[in-house]
Amino acid sequence: MDARAEANRRLVWLAGAIVLWAFCLLAKILSIQVVHHADYAAVARQQQERLVEIPAPRGTIFDRSGEPLAMSVPMDSVFVNPLRLPDLKVASEILSSILGMDRDQLYGRMKWYQDNHRGFMWVKRKITLAEAQRLRSLNLEWIEFQTESQRHYPGGSVAAQVLGSVDREEHGNWGIEMSLDTTLEGIPGTARLLTDVKRRGIDARLDNEPHAGESITLTIDSRIQFAAEQAIAQAVEEHHAQTGSVVVMNPNTGEILALASYPTFDPNRPPHAGEDPKARINQALSSPFEPGSVFKVVTLSAALETTNLTPDSIINCGNGSITLFGRTIHEAHGGYGSIPMRMVLVRSSNIGAIQIGLRVGQNNLYDYVRRFGFGQRTGIQLPAESPGILRKLTRWQPTSLPSVAMGHEVSVTTLQLAQACAVIANGGLLVRPRIILRKGDAPYPSAPPRRILQPETAITMRQMMEGVVVLPQGTGHRYARLEGYTSGGKTGSAQIYDYAARHYTHSYNASFMGFAPVTNPAIVVVATVNGTHGTAGFGGPTAAPVFRVVAQEALRVLDVPKDLPDEPVTNVAEGPKPLESEDDVAIADLADPSAAAIEQRAETRMPPAGPVPSPVVPDGPRVPNFQGMTMRAVVATASEKGLPVLLDGSGIARVQQPAAGAILHEGERIRVLFAR
Amino acid sequence: MSRYLSVRDMDWTLLVIVLVICSIGVLQIYSATRGTVWQDAWWKQIIYISGGLLLMWVAVSVDYHTLMNHVGWMYFLSVLALLATFLIGKQVFGSRRWIPLVGGVHLQVSEFVKLVIILLVARFLTDLKTEQLEAREMLKIAGLVGVPMALVIKQPDLGTALTYVPVLLVGLFLAGMRWKYVLTGAVLFVLVLPVGWHFLKDYQKARLVSFLDPDRDPRGTGYQMIQSKIAVGAGGMWGKGVAKGSQTQLRFLPVPHTDFIFSAFAEEHGFVGVVGVLALYFVLIMQTVQNAQTAPDRAGMYICMGIAALFLFHVLVNVGMVVGRMPVTGIPLPLMSAGGSSIWSNFLLLGLVNNVRLRRFVN
Repeated sequence: MDARAEANRRLVWLAGAIVLWAFCLLAKILSIQVVHHADYAAVARQQQERLVEIPAPRGTIFDRSGEPLAMSVPMDSVFVNPLRLPDLKVASEILSSILGMDRDQLYGRMKWYQDNHRGFMWVKRKITLAEAQRLRSLNLEWIEFQTESQRHYPGGSVAAQVLGSVDREEHGNWGIEMSLDTTLEGIPGTARLLTDVKRRGIDARLDNEPHAGESITLTIDSRIQFAAEQAIAQAVEEHHAQTGSVVVMNPNTGEILALASYPTFDPNRPPHAGEDPKARINQALSSPFEPGSVFKVVTLSAALETTNLTPDSIINCGNGSITLFGRTIHEAHGGYGSIPMRMVLVRSSNIGAIQIGLRVGQNNLYDYVRRFGFGQRTGIQLPAESPGILRKLTRWQPTSLPSVAMGHEVSVTTLQLAQACAVIANGGLLVRPRIILRKGDAPYPSAPPRRILQPETAITMRQMMEGVVVLPQGTGHRYARLEGYTSGGKTGSAQIYDYAARHYTHSYNASFMGFAPVTNPAIVVVATVNGTHGTAGFGGPTAAPVFRVVAQEALRVLDVPKDLPDEPVTNVAEGPKPLESEDDVAIADLADPSAAAIEQRAETRMPPAGPVPSPVVPDGPRVPNFQGMTMRAVVATASEKGLPVLLDGSGIARVQQPAAGAILHEGERIRVLFAR
Repeated sequence: MSRYLSVRDMDWTLLVIVLVICSIGVLQIYSATRGTVWQDAWWKQIIYISGGLLLMWVAVSVDYHTLMNHVGWMYFLSVLALLATFLIGKQVFGSRRWIPLVGGVHLQVSEFVKLVIILLVARFLTDLKTEQLEAREMLKIAGLVGVPMALVIKQPDLGTALTYVPVLLVGLFLAGMRWKYVLTGAVLFVLVLPVGWHFLKDYQKARLVSFLDPDRDPRGTGYQMIQSKIAVGAGGMWGKGVAKGSQTQLRFLPVPHTDFIFSAFAEEHGFVGVVGVLALYFVLIMQTVQNAQTAPDRAGMYICMGIAALFLFHVLVNVGMVVGRMPVTGIPLPLMSAGGSSIWSNFLLLGLVNNVRLRRFVN
């Protein structure tokens, strides 16, 4: 059987070749499965798993009585993968019709993403619930949703500059939202989503739980805040000024009860074209100005402590002019002979203040300006705080001493003035202003107060400042008297220096800082109106009424016991218009000897600009019925429908304006009052 | 003659191994197709296997000599049936392979043609009287095999057509093909093919494969192979466990119950499972080779060796495809991949092996 043997031999050959082939395969399998297992497993994970971020709800910001000022509500955002869209035309048609977008623009955007191989495109973010429901009911797998959180400010523009705002990703970009962003935003969780080949989620595994952001309680009282904003807005509009700010502070604790800035904005709306760029600036702490006469409080406090001057010491006011270093300085109006120091403050005599300043000396004056906290940031937890300007002593000119004595050559913020006024009000302690009351449930730490004045000095200053309000010659007389409460304060009006033209203009920074009640002040209120004109734009007529309105409201809200019998007070609003002879302007023309005294200028009064009636458009969304709903429910309902609401009070919605069913016109807001 | 036939003489080792492989296949089909449109495939497969056992008994009971005597008719019918697929064939993935039978059953003719090819080659080589194979005879048998092969390629189904080649080559080699032909062929194959292959660019390779077999790859060349390699690699040493292979379960792996069943198996059972199954196939083929050695005549040897070559080719090409060593040609893994025609033709082949075994003492 030769053939048989040959065949068997050939079988062995065949087997050899086959075994070789088999070993090649086995080696390959070994390489893939054992040696490179980790690589392949990673590739598999990469294509099967999608890391999904679970957003953590952002912390709520409350006012001191627990009213929410900023809160987050969940909303849907729509995205598509342009590379997987079955038909761009159809997709843009469907999406634009439901979401109310421009079809061609959407198509162009999708096309661009597709051409550039981008696999992710937001169609529209934070859509209303109605839109989301319509899109979901289409049940198209290429329309994808992501839950995002939308920041809502129930009070609208209330405390807008304090609260600040957030960007699309809900990161704070201004105000408290920015300075406490890390506290508020929480830690997002992550989940791994197991997706199949069509990117459908099959299973999700939570890797890290999201941790909600901590809530913040502000020292702000939204009622006082609201009153302050109303008052400053009215004052700025009425006097055709540019900006204004009000700070209401508890002098003993430093808690800021209100911090208003005008013009203002609505943090619910993202920055948009045509918005006043000044609106987002917190005028109370970001815009320093030359304070003028209010600064005489510092000069006189220094005089009481460093010289033997007393309120009754006679100061020679030189009958209206003084010549220093070859330059003549005039009083703003008229002139005084020799008057007691108390009257220098009451009448706000510039010459008197200079005389006192010269007695104090520049070393002492500089020391006291520093002690009062000027030239340094107060350290409040808000972004973009200005330290103001206080030149170092080595850089003072010979004319600097008289200038600083009457509030020039320094710049201060309204907040710094409040801090300084609180020193007088609380008996000599520098208390740092604070805006955050609690972080979560824990009280927010505050800096310990520091004594900078003798208690007697502070009390003496209080009495002198009361004279400004009470005495008929006082610059704040008839403007700053309160009903049922004693009050003290100081006016200030400083000419605004035009840096381009290098001279002082006839527009003013008008301010008033005051406290009430005089014997045991519960509040300090500082109001500043920037860019007023003429003598009617002085601190007395412009800023003092703001003080009066705000202080009255704050005292009522805080339930401070009255220290005067309830009797009507004649303020300028009711009484006859006083002569505009109050000498309040701190003349700042030391650098310009040729400048004459402030010219008397008849104030060209314009009729108050009332709200322009908007044309009636017979369409717009219908106002839903909010009555009986909780605040959270109202916010949720309103944001679903995309309606702007203003909320007031707490508890359950009782009253709304406009009424349910009415048409909401463009720009109109629904005001909802809550009560328990 | 029939008194020599006894059920005890069946190759029970072979049968047990076959049933073990079939069971693994059914389990894997079940695991890979849960929740898909193919989720009924596992019990259909059980029915196919049961039918296959019956067919096997049929293939055992008729003496293979009788079958070889009628191979001319069978060959003629096969060519006719292949031609018929062009006329009444059902088109799937752009290819006409199936002809409809009664009751909605579709038969893949090319699978059964394997059987005829094996018998044809055995008959042809047995009828040769010379010790050495002449080139003229070689061309004659190659031509005979070439006709159905060309028809199958035209369907187009390159993979199944290629399975006819090893049957022919092994038959020719064992029948005493001159060494110079063997060596020339081997050298040409070993040198030209892989060298030429490596000189091609990736896209050219893809094009070549796509050109030879365009409809196996509807979603971009290489996608299936990439996903298959990922699945195999993700399995690791011990595998992810039954029904836990994410590549398979998340549908990244295409056709995980037919051509890529080995990939799904490798992901869920790992290297250990792979070696186990390959060992089973090794024993299956060696058992077939042993039957060839104990065959009563050359005809029986040719039949068994043809079957062994066919199984081996199927296993090596399918596994090679799954791990990326072979182009994707659509050759199923015998006894594991879901599909009635494949299962039945395999059981018929196993029947032939037993047919030869039972008649080993006849001479």
